[in-house]
Amino acid sequence: MAGFLSALRRIYLSLYNWTVFIGWFQVLYFAVKALREGGPTTVYDAVEKPLQLAQTAAVLEILHGIVGLVRSPVSATLPQIGSRLFLVWGILWSIPETRTHVLVSSLVISWSITEIIRYSFFGMKEALGFAPSWLLWLRYSTFLILYPTGITSEVGLIYVALPFIKASEKYCIRMPNKWNFTFDYFYASIIALAIYVPGSPHMYGYMLGQRKKALSKSKTA
Amino acid sequence: MKVTLVSRSGREVIKGGIELADGATVSDLQEAIHGRIKKYYPSRQRLTLPLQAGSQGKPIVLVPKSKLADYCNGNANNLTVVFKDLGIQVSYSTLFFWEYLGPLIIYPICYYFPVYKYFGYEGERVVYPVQTYALYYWCFHYFKRITETFFIHRFSHATSPLSNVFRNCAYYWTFGTYIAYHVNHPLYTPVGDLQMKIGFTFGLICQISNLYCHLILRNLRSPSGNGGYQIPGGFLFNIVTCANYTTEIYQWLGFNIATQTIAGYVFLIVASLIMTNWAFAKHWRLKKLFDGKEGRPRYPRRWVILPPFI
Repeated sequence: MAGFLSALRRIYLSLYNWTVFIGWFQVLYFAVKALREGGPTTVYDAVEKPLQLAQTAAVLEILHGIVGLVRSPVSATLPQIGSRLFLVWGILWSIPETRTHVLVSSLVISWSITEIIRYSFFGMKEALGFAPSWLLWLRYSTFLILYPTGITSEVGLIYVALPFIKASEKYCIRMPNKWNFTFDYFYASIIALAIYVPGSPHMYGYMLGQRKKALSKSKTA
Repeated sequence: MKVTLVSRSGREVIKGGIELADGATVSDLQEAIHGRIKKYYPSRQRLTLPLQAGSQGKPIVLVPKSKLADYCNGNANNLTVVFKDLGIQVSYSTLFFWEYLGPLIIYPICYYFPVYKYFGYEGERVVYPVQTYALYYWCFHYFKRITETFFIHRFSHATSPLSNVFRNCAYYWTFGTYIAYHVNHPLYTPVGDLQMKIGFTFGLICQISNLYCHLILRNLRSPSGNGGYQIPGGFLFNIVTCANYTTEIYQWLGFNIATQTIAGYVFLIVASLIMTNWAFAKHWRLKKLFDGKEGRPRYPRRWVILPPFI
């Protein structure tokens, strides 16, 4: 029974990782194609559907962590996925004026390269039982560049969106109401920006630690 | 006897160790360390026995009043002690004072001063009775907390790391502002009169019960600060381990029933989660200590924190 469940887990995770891998591959492909054909302002429209699908699917990973299907700590995946979903749905989809900005290109390219490496790495481990050392190296090295470019793009796009958020009054709940509740999307976005200040060094430091652990382990293995 | 003081990485903290009388206590050792390295006052020192290689479990902490000789296994002349710097320490009174001061000051500011002008709400503000009572209730609560800090609580540890001041103040001051902003808002919608009265009355009863719980807990500890554990008893402690947290949670519930803000309920949920965490730790600690063996009493069956749920 245990062996059957373990095999089931492996099949499911292989399917999951490779499916999302294909999604991110599409994002990169369409992004580069649009850049060459129409320029940065056309990138969003070209990648919108695979981007939304691939990034939203990542919510499943929180579930995987909670039920124990994978070992990743929820505390590390939650802020990462939270910021991604905020950008995809809360900024790009909600505030159309941001879609033609050049930072969209750097954003989706940074994200898609990172995710292609990450999902193929896990996909191979689940399907084949191992991942080649060059993929391991890529996984724990490309973040050194892609984290700064990705984070800069995220912060930049949120900042660009701010005046439009304020003017549109979108997602705002005003008083008076029975539960004396207010929500101001503009201030919430500013708080999100503020979280990047301690959050980015924390995530970068975490990955540096993971890199040290992973690359030294492979040397002795 | 000679005490060798090492850091957790094995490095000698004080070269050559420290010479002490055979009957010296841990406290004497702490004073000696402080004498040699000025910045390491005793409350900053964490002294433990070295863990045997490969063994699991937590290291044994040296208790200040105990004799050093009690920790020597065979060799009465030599003892190796592991040292850890706990960082800058502040007294618990200082910590509690600063974290409670924020809410005590910020809330009345939102009530009395025209702060909402800066958020775009011009003009005169109608103040409902519930908002005034909420002000009194809130300020009474934090005034009570500060008073208890200085006159009632007996702390198991004398100090807390300085970093906790920033963390705790952020928690209390942010939530205090969040709630004060909404309850004193110019567009605040009050609940019905009966609901308000029920809320505040229930809350007040719980606050007074909470005070009584704190008095009971105080009397469990001797003034010399032994910090030993006893089975709490009397009043609500007969049925729930952490009756002090119980009354605190229900007191906030009373406040929220009367004032009805999402902000208040969010705070209630977060605070309850934090206290429930503490309550479970305390409950399991007491159950483990009072296991009914070797003449120790057995910890009775009780609710952990929130009867009738947990």
